[in-house]
This record gives sequence, structure tokens and C-alpha cells, in this order.
Amino acid sequence: MSTDKPTTTPSNKSASLSLDTWAVIAALVLALAVRFDILKNVSW
Amino acid sequence: MAATTALSPVRSENRLLNALSIVPGILLLAGIGYAAKVLERSVNGYAKAHHRTFPNIEYVLWAILIGLVISNTLSIPKIFQSGIATYEFWLKLGIVLLGARFVLADVLKLGGISLALVVIEITLSLLLMTFLGRLFKLKPKLISLLAIGSAVCGVSAIIAAKGAIDADDEDSSFAIAAILALGALALFTFPAIAHSLHMNDVSYGLWAGLGVDNTAEATAAGALYSDAAGKVAVLAKTARNAMIGFVVLAYAIYWAGQGQAQTVTNKAAFLWKKFPKFILGFLLISLLVSFHMFSKGQVTSLGNLSKWAFLLTFAGVGLRTNFRDMSKQGLRPFIVGALGEVLIACLTLGLVVGANRIWGL
Repeated sequence: MSTDKPTTTPSNKSASLSLDTWAVIAALVLALAVRFDILKNVSW
Repeated sequence: MAATTALSPVRSENRLLNALSIVPGILLLAGIGYAAKVLERSVNGYAKAHHRTFPNIEYVLWAILIGLVISNTLSIPKIFQSGIATYEFWLKLGIVLLGARFVLADVLKLGGISLALVVIEITLSLLLMTFLGRLFKLKPKLISLLAIGSAVCGVSAIIAAKGAIDADDEDSSFAIAAILALGALALFTFPAIAHSLHMNDVSYGLWAGLGVDNTAEATAAGALYSDAAGKVAVLAKTARNAMIGFVVLAYAIYWAGQGQAQTVTNKAAFLWKKFPKFILGFLLISLLVSFHMFSKGQVTSLGNLSKWAFLLTFAGVGLRTNFRDMSKQGLRPFIVGALGEVLIACLTLGLVVGANRIWGL
């Protein structure tokens, strides 16, 4: 049984954890893009 | 090993298909969000140009209303479902980016007040929901789920607790439906009550963060009042979310003691597993801004990116609220939830008014 194999019934709690991580990664990527002026003057 | 290599192309193809499957739903969220912004501008512009008095309906409410109308009148095709479910991702992304609009001193001050109020709110909510649940003779684990959902953070707390206390699917569906239905009602009642009481932005934001259970609805309820109130609501709700691990752990230990759940062997690992990690991202961005890593214009850009992310969230809140599905879940859990929520809303309002007198919010 390989360790990277997903369980047969993936729990919602592990899904929410990875969602958190993805949200933080995406936010940091956006913050870096803004910091280095790749994304400039984002309007609302 | 060979089997793993042979499976790789299939796995990557599946991943690509999974990634593509969310696109239609995200486009729907973006379309509704954009329509909400256009409607806000057009209606307000029309009223101004024709000297008419219209209530100022903000994009937040338009996005929720459009979503509600679609989900309750049309059957949303399956192709959109997985993309609509990404609204939680947009919510968390928006919260992390919102960290740019708080310097750390604000987070410590308001977060400290919020935490103190959160501890009181959680204790009162757990006691109250347990009492009401027993009064209405609900099943013990359903009472636990309703209590956790109303005390901490709505749906994610219920999902986290479901596994920890070995609750069945039916109980968690009841609890989630009750929390979501009451959250939808709070969107309309909280701002109306606050306007009638002439609450200031900070007090109202704290109240929305403490009194509305689900994070998306608490964010929306705050933003419906004002931009500043929305910021505070997110901070207060985030402080509440941070307590999820402690509350779920306490219930897990209780049910394990009753022989009806697995024993928690490593409590520190359990707490870390349940801790919402996006809060760390929020604090990190706030820390970077506090150390002047971003110019003023860049902070504005980050704040605006956060608003765009929230716009997709608000569209998702409307789209996933289906009153017909909720009504199928039964009346008793809803009555207990509603009674409890009304009392919790009154208690948290009292707490905020008290805090305002003590700390002058």
C-alpha cells in the first residue's frame, strides 16, 4: 500500500486543510506579484 | 514501481480534467459577481440622475440575491457544481489578502478584544445549545454538532467534529442545513438590527463576527453594513475559527470517554491538524505590511484583490443556499438552531455593547 495513495473515502477535514494551504500559497504568489510590480494598480 | 509509472499519465490526465472541471463554475461565480457590481453602479447612478430615493443596495447583496434567485428557481447544471464549490477557496484567499489592510498593532488590539469575547461567546453558546438540544430531545451527537457549529465556525467546525466524534452523516447534514439556513437569515436581519440601533462599524463588525456562524456569511454580513465593518467581522470570525481545535478536542475526549469515539492519543498533533492554517497566512501578510514591505499603492492593490476574491465568495453563498433542500432536513433541529441563534445573537450583542462601554470601540 503506497503512502501517496488517497484513501478510499477522503475525509472533508483533509480537503479543508489542503484548501487552506492552497489559499495561503495563492495569496503569497499574488503578494509577491504585487510587491515586484508584476501586478500593478489593481482597481476595484 | 512499474505500476506507479504506468499509472502516472492517467493520474495527470485526471488531474487536468479535475482542474478544467472547475472552470465553468468559477466563470459563473465571476459573472454573477461582475453583474452585481454593474447593478450596484447602474441602480445608484440611475437614482442619482433621476433624483430618486432608492435604498443603497451594495454589490454584496446583489451578488447574494442573484445567486439565491438562480439556485432557488433553476436547476444548476452539474457542470457548474465543482466550480461553485471553490467559493470556500476564494473566501480563504480573500481573508489572507485582507491581512494587508491590518497593521499588526490593529490585529493585536482588535484580535485581543475579539479573543476575550470569543471565549465568553463559545462557553455560552455551547451551554445554551446543549440545554436546548436536550429540551427538544435531539440525538446526543446531533446536539454536539449543533453546539460546535453555533459556537465556533459553522460548517467547517461541524465537518471537523463529525470525524472526531464519529457522528453519522444524517446528523451532520441536519446540523449543516440548520447552520446554513440561519446564516442566510442573519445576512438580512443583522444589518437591519444594527442600523436601527445606530451601531458603529467596529461594534457591528465584532457582533457579526461573533454572532454569525459560517465564515462566508459572517464576512458577507459585515460587508453588507460597511467596508470597515466587514474588515472587523473577518477579524473577529478568524479569532473564533482559531478556537476550533480546542472545542473539537474537548468533544472528542468526551465522546471517547463514553466509548463512542476513538481516543485522541496525541493532543498537540490533533490541535495542529484542526487549526485553520489560513489564519497563519493572514498574520504573515499583516506582518509584512507592518514592516513596510509594501508601498501604499501596493497595499491598496492587495486590499482590492481581497475584495475581488470576496466577490466570488458572495456569489457562491447565494448559489449554494437552496431553501427547498434545507426544508427537507426536518423542523426540530432547525427550531433548536433558530432558538439558540436568536439567543446567541442577543447575548453577543450584549457582549459587544458591554465591550464598547469598557474599551470604547
